Amino acid sequence: MRRRLFLLSPASCKAAFAAAASLLLLMVASPALANPHRLDDSLSHTVPASAQMAWRPQTSADPNAGVEAWVRVNIRIDTAKWAGRTGNIYMVLPRDQSSSMEAEWTTNGTLRAGRLVSGERALVYTGRIPGNTLQDQMQVRLRSAPDWQSTTRRLNFYFELDVDGIDAPTAEPSPTR
Amino acid sequence: MNTPLQRPSKQPPDLRAWRAAALALVCLAQVASAQAWTLSIAAASRRVFLHVGNGTTDGNSATVNTVSTTLTGAQLIGGNPLAMSSNSSQSASLYDGYNTCPDPSSQMLIGASYRRNNGNDGPARATLRVTSPANLENGNGDTIPFSQISWTVSAPGSPRPNVIPAGAFNGGSLTLTSVRANTYIENCHSYVYANEAVRAAGAYNGQVTYTLSSP
Repeated sequence: MRRRLFLLSPASCKAAFAAAASLLLLMVASPALANPHRLDDSLSHTVPASAQMAWRPQTSADPNAGVEAWVRVNIRIDTAKWAGRTGNIYMVLPRDQSSSMEAEWTTNGTLRAGRLVSGERALVYTGRIPGNTLQDQMQVRLRSAPDWQSTTRRLNFYFELDVDGIDAPTAEPSPTR
Repeated sequence: MNTPLQRPSKQPPDLRAWRAAALALVCLAQVASAQAWTLSIAAASRRVFLHVGNGTTDGNSATVNTVSTTLTGAQLIGGNPLAMSSNSSQSASLYDGYNTCPDPSSQMLIGASYRRNNGNDGPARATLRVTSPANLENGNGDTIPFSQISWTVSAPGSPRPNVIPAGAFNGGSLTLTSVRANTYIENCHSYVYANEAVRAAGAYNGQVTYTLSSP
């Protein structure tokens, strides 16, 4: 079998650097041009850090009852770039496999309670963004049918913002020290 | 002849540069997508549930119920089969509360379920068996073959009253039925002593064990 390996000449490297810089500029600039904007909630964490699904009781009303798990999520969303702006913040659960996962949650009040199924997003905040962070605690119930394609899954929730009005940040984010 | 490492590309250098740049940005995009709350979850463990007589929904029960019959001299000599009574009080289904065994004093409600995550998580069906010793014994060396005890089945209102079939103990392991994944089955068993021979006086005892397994 023949393997293909492309080597870049110094001139090509310069061109690659220039191209990367151009694309990076486009990437950085594009969030300011169109909704939705991905928000940084890397300080959010779940308790416990992982969970195991448990069987729901089978009943005649729900003969195909699947599995469920409960987790608490301490939410901390960085909204510094958008403080003072108005818009809608959504929680998103990308589809990770063909078996759907339903998430239903309550909150302590800063964010909205709601429900979504993998592949969807749900509104968790609407209105003026009050400051540099949005914090809340969610009690999340996860449910699915017993039709997973694997024995473990990783759910990657995230938040995104549809900002109102002129779709650009008001200021550069302040440096973190 | 070109070696694989020296083989010139048909694409212009600039295009290769763009590809390299795109690859680098894909890596950057992966880093950016890490900013989210994530959760690792494991599938529920495969599970079987079985109750014979009194049971607890999705739980363990230490109760061992008894079926029995007491023969008069005339019945002993008569040789006719005798219905056995039960000390079970389980009339309601653990599945839906339906009155599956309306007369638990002469019936034993048996319910079973098998649950698995998917087609790779164990066999498609679990197996329901009952194991009986060869004989009932009276402690004086007298025996009655366990095969003298049989059962009929019923399930009022069910389209499949014989989902666990009628039969007779065989003094060994007997496969009753299989339970399809993520289903629940149940019906009501009424036991009968065949009374085919005159036995020595005494109280004859024996214990059978029902097993639901998913190897």
